[in-house]
Amino acid sequence: MKSKIFIGLLLIAFVFQASFFQVQAKEFDYKSKEFEAAASQFMCTCGCGQDHFECDPKTCNLTIGFKEDIVEMMNKGWDKDKIREYYVNIYGEEILTAPEKSGFSLVAWIMPFAALGIAGVAIFFIVRKWVKKKGTDEQTSDNEIDKDEVEEEILSSMIEEERKKYL
Amino acid sequence: MYLFANATIYVGLALAIYSLLIITLGISTKNQKLINSGKGGVIGIMVCASMAMLSLFYLLATSQFQYEYVTDYTSSELPVIYKLTALWAGNSGSLLLWTFFLVLYTVMIAFSRKMRGNPMVPYISAILLGNIVFFFLILGFVAKPFVLLDQVPIEGHGLNPMLQNPGMIIHPVTLYLGYVGLAIPFAFAMAALLLKNVDDFWIKMTRRWTIIAWLFLSLGNIFGGQWAYVELGWGGYWAWDPVENASFMPWLTATAFLHSVMIQERKNMLKIWNISLIITSYALTLFGTFLVRSGVLTSVHAFANSNLGLYFLIFMGVMVIGALYVLMSRYNLLKRSAGEFNSYISKESSFLINNLLLVGAAFGVFWGTVFPLVSEAVRGTKVTVGMPFFNTVQAPILLSMMFVMAVCPLLAWQRSSLKNLKKNFFIPAILAVAAMALMVVLGIQKAWAVIGFGVIVLLFITHFLEFYRGVKARRKMTNEKVYLSLYRLMTKNRRRYGGYIVHIGIAFIAMGIIGSQNYDVQTMKTVNLGDSIELKDYRINYERLDQKREGINDIVYAEMTVFKNGKRIGTIQPEKVFYGNWDQPSSEVGLITTLKEDLYVVLSDWEDDGKATFIVKINPMITWLWIGSFMIVIGSLFAVWNGKYQNITPRYTGVRKEVS
Repeated sequence: MKSKIFIGLLLIAFVFQASFFQVQAKEFDYKSKEFEAAASQFMCTCGCGQDHFECDPKTCNLTIGFKEDIVEMMNKGWDKDKIREYYVNIYGEEILTAPEKSGFSLVAWIMPFAALGIAGVAIFFIVRKWVKKKGTDEQTSDNEIDKDEVEEEILSSMIEEERKKYL
Repeated sequence: MYLFANATIYVGLALAIYSLLIITLGISTKNQKLINSGKGGVIGIMVCASMAMLSLFYLLATSQFQYEYVTDYTSSELPVIYKLTALWAGNSGSLLLWTFFLVLYTVMIAFSRKMRGNPMVPYISAILLGNIVFFFLILGFVAKPFVLLDQVPIEGHGLNPMLQNPGMIIHPVTLYLGYVGLAIPFAFAMAALLLKNVDDFWIKMTRRWTIIAWLFLSLGNIFGGQWAYVELGWGGYWAWDPVENASFMPWLTATAFLHSVMIQERKNMLKIWNISLIITSYALTLFGTFLVRSGVLTSVHAFANSNLGLYFLIFMGVMVIGALYVLMSRYNLLKRSAGEFNSYISKESSFLINNLLLVGAAFGVFWGTVFPLVSEAVRGTKVTVGMPFFNTVQAPILLSMMFVMAVCPLLAWQRSSLKNLKKNFFIPAILAVAAMALMVVLGIQKAWAVIGFGVIVLLFITHFLEFYRGVKARRKMTNEKVYLSLYRLMTKNRRRYGGYIVHIGIAFIAMGIIGSQNYDVQTMKTVNLGDSIELKDYRINYERLDQKREGINDIVYAEMTVFKNGKRIGTIQPEKVFYGNWDQPSSEVGLITTLKEDLYVVLSDWEDDGKATFIVKINPMITWLWIGSFMIVIGSLFAVWNGKYQNITPRYTGVRKEVS
């Protein structure tokens, strides 16, 4: 009986050991969404102009080690922000594919929308000025307002028909 | 040959300087003979530029390695077509192409039948000749295409393999035609201001030339995207690279002009704004060239670092300052006869918002492109501004743009009453919301995708209604058959309906972008021979790995059979090409394209035992991007085509006693 239990335990241990090795040997998918989230934050410096998610390991030795390091960090349970912080501490902001959303780099993100907002407000005031200038002196009736391009189209069709008849 | 080829450049330069001076003198003394002499000079410049092009083509095709340019960009085993296209692979060759197009456009204007007797011609010619002189100076003294080497090498360095693709034959040509084309509206604008005559003729001609330049710029960007998609092996088509941005910015501002000029036509307003847009578009083409050729920014497209960019920056500065001076000196003329708006809600207002968004998008691209330089200047850190930035900043702006595009056709000129709005928008809005709800039910649940597709549905409905109402109105009066009525409606209003076709094309492109950006899936797998890779509904059997030799290139390829839902749909052969004269290998992707999605397979790596690593991507709706691009071309051609109706250029109403 004891030997049966012993064999049973050995078998269980063997099965678990096998599955453990399977996990270790399982190929990591460098094109998974999780890896993309982490690796696409960093610019490859081999001159390919791509981030470490896109950079092809076949043509770039630099990205091979970088990818492996990221996988190692992910296996440790680091999320993309922690990985990002780690690399920024070592290489500075230059390694990122987009400026940080803090400090001076925040200007990069804000400026386009600030410019749009200011220009939008300016346009509003200009249009208001133009509309006011027009005022109420032109009493456009509702019928005139509703006269749209389709009606103009009808009119031009009529003119064309008449032209065909007489010319 | 050496003497002849170089003579074409220096004689061309001498003729350009002569023509510029003699035409300027002719304008100031109102002497037609001098103008005619200058025009003759333009023909001479055309001959020189053509001969220079033919000389370089000949040297490239016959592998004359004693010439530096031929050695740098070709090799003897290169197929003839790529030997010829190497003309625009390098700095000096591409600038020669640029010069040739500029001269070609100048001849077209100077000897145009429509422009005969028009006093604008000498002014336009002089402005374009100023540009031509600059380019010949560059070709003659900075980036010389015909430089002899001290020692003749046995073999050339070869052409970058990335450029050995059909897309690269046509992409630079179309892009340059677009870039150079924007000099024409600029010249028209300056000529109109100098003559103090900003009339309908100016608008018509400028708009026409802007559409032509815009079409070529669009084509250039589309071909570039298509090339990137099949050649670079990353499965994308637009990377927001500084050089891509350089061609996108003038495209945006030219688009803004094409819309705002309609307000000028209708209401005689926004003259200063329109001329500013023309100047900006032109300046951005020079700015783009500065970016590509100065090496201030890192780009995969950039030419070798040189001091060329500096010359372009100086030239751009001179031209912009000159243009602004002319603009300011005619301020009162432009300010005069400004109209008013009847209402806040009208087609005019929507065009203003359209301009705000387009110019805002252009500013966003510009800001992102130059921010590394700003950051370096301010705090000494050269940050990278890449795809995540541009996607985040541009997505809301361009989506808003799509919304304005969807809404605009149904807004009335002058004023849209509440009744009018209800009548026009109730059904399209309901249908768009219903479509969005349906998408959510069908599993499309990403917010950006649902909003984006919803706006696109709205755009399709409003544009369909425009065609429907137009045809209905015509048929009511004429009793024509539907197709005849549609044909006549469109050919009678080429610009309007051409514009709508372009809008629909843009919507298709947006569909492709939203679909491929939000719902792409990919995997990277290493498999043994005979094994398969499964991704979504696809099973790809890896059957063979082999090697072949083509010329001096070694090609490793895999043969794969593709099954979808268990049904065989074809075979693909992804390749890795190792060039005999280039260090970096390149990928030829295996591609199966359908309207729904692309299966995109890259052979990444392999081992001696046949085990290989593949990147497999499913890119949804990519085909719609190319269909949309095709529609843009069709729509633009339809709009500028000389039709039977309503395409008569208005009579020139400016000064008559000038020279022409």
